[in-house]
Amino acid sequence: MPKPLTENTTVTANQPAQIIELVQRCTAQRTPIVDYGHAHKTLGHPPPPDHIQLILQNNTIEHYDRDLVVRVEAGTTIAKLQATLKKSNQFLPIDAHDDMTLGEVITHNVFGPLRVGFGAMRDLLLGLRYIDGHSRDIHVGGRTVKNVAGYDVTRLMVGSLGELGCIYEATLRTSAIPQTVLSVELSIDTPRRLDAITTDLLVSDVGPVHLALHAQANHWRVHLAYFGHTAGCRAQSNALETFLNRFAPELKIDRTQETTLDQDAQQRTRRSQWRRHTPALVKLIVPLAATGAVCRQLSQWATTYTTLQIDALPAHGRVFAGGDLDADSAHKLDLHTSQLAASVGGLRIWYARPTGTQSIDPWPPALTDRATLTKLKHAMDPHNLFNPGRFITAQQ
Amino acid sequence: MAAAIETVLNRLREVVGDEGVLADRNELVAYECDGLPIAKGVPTAVVFPTDTGQVAECVRVLAKLGVPIVPRGSGTGLTGGCVVFGGGVIVSTSRMTRIESIDLANRVAVVGAGVRNLALNEAVAARGTPMGATEGGWLRFSPDPSSQSASTIGGNAATNAGGINTLKYGVTTSHVLGVEVVLADGAVVRTGGGLCDGVGADLTGLLCGSEGTLGIITRVWCRLTAGPRHFRTVYAEFGCMREACQTVSDVVASGVVPTSMEIMDGQMIGVIEQAFGYGFSAGAGALLLIEIDGVEAVLDEQLESVVRICGANGAEGVRHCADAQERAELWRVRKRAFGAIGRISRSYCTQDACVPRSKLPEAIEAITAIGGRYGLKVTHIFHAGDGNVHPILLFDEDDADDVQRVLAASEAILEYCVSIGGTITGEHGVGVEKLHLMEKMFNSATMAAFGDIKAAFDPDGCINDGKLIPSDRIRIELKGVTGMNVPGGAG
Ligand SMILES: Cc1cc2nc3c(=O)[nH]c(=O)nc-3n(C[C@H](O)[C@H](O)[C@H](O)COP(=O)(O)OP(=O)(O)OC[C@H]3O[C@@H](n4cnc5c(N)ncnc54)[C@H](O)[C@@H]3O)c2cc1C
Repeated sequence: MPKPLTENTTVTANQPAQIIELVQRCTAQRTPIVDYGHAHKTLGHPPPPDHIQLILQNNTIEHYDRDLVVRVEAGTTIAKLQATLKKSNQFLPIDAHDDMTLGEVITHNVFGPLRVGFGAMRDLLLGLRYIDGHSRDIHVGGRTVKNVAGYDVTRLMVGSLGELGCIYEATLRTSAIPQTVLSVELSIDTPRRLDAITTDLLVSDVGPVHLALHAQANHWRVHLAYFGHTAGCRAQSNALETFLNRFAPELKIDRTQETTLDQDAQQRTRRSQWRRHTPALVKLIVPLAATGAVCRQLSQWATTYTTLQIDALPAHGRVFAGGDLDADSAHKLDLHTSQLAASVGGLRIWYARPTGTQSIDPWPPALTDRATLTKLKHAMDPHNLFNPGRFITAQQ
Repeated sequence: MAAAIETVLNRLREVVGDEGVLADRNELVAYECDGLPIAKGVPTAVVFPTDTGQVAECVRVLAKLGVPIVPRGSGTGLTGGCVVFGGGVIVSTSRMTRIESIDLANRVAVVGAGVRNLALNEAVAARGTPMGATEGGWLRFSPDPSSQSASTIGGNAATNAGGINTLKYGVTTSHVLGVEVVLADGAVVRTGGGLCDGVGADLTGLLCGSEGTLGIITRVWCRLTAGPRHFRTVYAEFGCMREACQTVSDVVASGVVPTSMEIMDGQMIGVIEQAFGYGFSAGAGALLLIEIDGVEAVLDEQLESVVRICGANGAEGVRHCADAQERAELWRVRKRAFGAIGRISRSYCTQDACVPRSKLPEAIEAITAIGGRYGLKVTHIFHAGDGNVHPILLFDEDDADDVQRVLAASEAILEYCVSIGGTITGEHGVGVEKLHLMEKMFNSATMAAFGDIKAAFDPDGCINDGKLIPSDRIRIELKGVTGMNVPGGAG
């Protein structure tokens, strides 16, 4: 006779069989299994009060170092994974904070400036193992870099917000650690033309490996970097200067620094750290050519209402804005960002809503694929066990 | 098929007009197969809608009448995916060829599913440099299957096609931002759209590679990325395949990411020389084509390390393409290689599988040996950098025994690839050809999960049922068929 689950408990699972057993027991007792991750606890509708939280294993199962492929347990933190890969002079080219687990990075499609040079999780993930809502042990994808056998559930799970199953293992591509990272910090008075400059940069000979825009109090900074051999990085940095003089004189190089991948990663993390702690955080996904204008409008809005911190990935049309907002300002920001997103054909998502703003819908208005996602959720998690109601609501 | 044929045709004509329905038996024969001629089936009709609305209406009509629906692009697939078995109607995208927009500023093109891959790239190229600032900068839709002059973007998305530059730039799914798809109930769903990110599970990712079994893709948002401006292209000759394969494995392990690494064996070198006279050494045991692209300032240094690895593995000579013309000619020859195989064999069967790249040296030897065990000659030309092997089995299609041995050897080869951590298909897909191998690759739970996904999209199995995953409703058996023909080619 299985032991009854006491609700709101944390359960550690060491083997897929244990997750299967847990899913079976939770199904029988109608107890949801909740995992919102470390850094995404406030994303989406809150979990039901009574639930089980699952702690997963955190080991590297196999590093096929000659293939630049690694197979890892989903509970592994990014810090632990990077440390393992470093022993073979490799790394996972994704911007994710050290304390996030790999599972969290996958289910939240976490990406950052490095996406310019290395793609996002959907480009790096080769295979997955997960337990679905029927308590089945599903293995999709594999360890080869190309594979079109069966439905691409591996990609489907990217960004799935933990609603479709419990991922316990992933296989990913890795990259070689570059000899040198040459990071460049630039300033710009206004990001008005930044989108055009970004496209120009990307098709030029000085396309960087990462690129991001940061702003506070109307002070705009662009950070970018080149990876490679020292001489090559230097050549690119020189070419960047020539490029900027000719095509983007409004961008001024403030600092150029030869550094290591570790240091560069720390700097990237530091620049995005504010997002982990800010009480109000909204994300906009906009067409690429609208990124600069959206950033500008957000900063103009901030001069009237409150201080906002903004960071953006101009190469991918992603903007984060947030700060220490009270409920009233957050409501105003919601109105502004909703209108802004709608006006450019983009989306806005609240990652963190301050107290007193629970009436704000964290998600964008109905998307045409929501009904299809709901059908899929029902097929993969028929008892609505995994993160129920976070994004896909039962009544849809 | 539930409804009388005339009823079906009349209802379809109401939707797309007389000119949009093909029902003449003589003309329908052109649609009886794709690039896998052992999988044959003449459709009841072919319908040619021109927009999403017409596709949705056709699907509603056919679903209501209980008529099986099969989506088709250009029919260059190599697995029988767009073939009708046991009656049904093909919904062709060949009239959905409008390039709706090419937005260089947002680096996205929106195209009808029937637009050919090359047509899109030519149209993008004609628009020139994105912002006008950087001389020589250009954008493109990166997936480049060898069939790109014929295959459609909808077909590329549905099969998640790869190509020669996949090694560095990824397969089709990495370049599709969103799709519009007509589901089995006629509903039109748009996933993603022109944005680089979305909310919730990656439906676009699921639809890419679903081989037309979940719905009919009518429109694709194609990500445009910077085309390379500077290249170094070399080809290295080796005494044997093991050395060439080991070189690929070593280059991968070194962390350098070339644009392409393609291998051909001695027999293929001979065939290509006979056909195109490019100038390869006739006596070489293997040839490795390597291209790197990127920033001019660092290319020579990268090339040097690649050439060093070739030398360390016994390359007998590494030749450089002197100029753009020589480079273009080299890749043209590579892409046309399959057309030349007829010189050494009446018929051939190209297999498609993927193996871990570190296992290439042993895998190629084992695959050739498997062919030998079945009394068949095997020759190789493949995307080595991806570990995507394309062993070509040579045989005589009029010899029924030969045909059976080809089928048996193919199966043994694919099983071997799975046993060393590989997969049954790297880029061509499953279609009907590899249906029976799916259960060797996936456990029963995963197969059941695939079935649930199909049922969520298409509970009555209206669209392309019995492809990609087995179906209770239709069983397509290829094994008994004789008279195997020449598959169209590959990779
Ligand atoms: C000479 C030659 C070279 C080739 N080289 C390569 C290569 O390098 N790489 C590679 O990956 N493949 C290659 N192929 C295989 C083939 O070209 C690709 O699979 C291609 O993507 C198929 O496109 P198509 O438009 O011809 O699709 P079709 O053959 O018409 O259909 C293929 C599958 O996709 C489905 N489908 C087609 N259009 C749609 C749609 N709009 N909506 C939903 N489903 C749809 C069909 O039902 C079918 O299951 C080659 C084939 C040949 C003949």
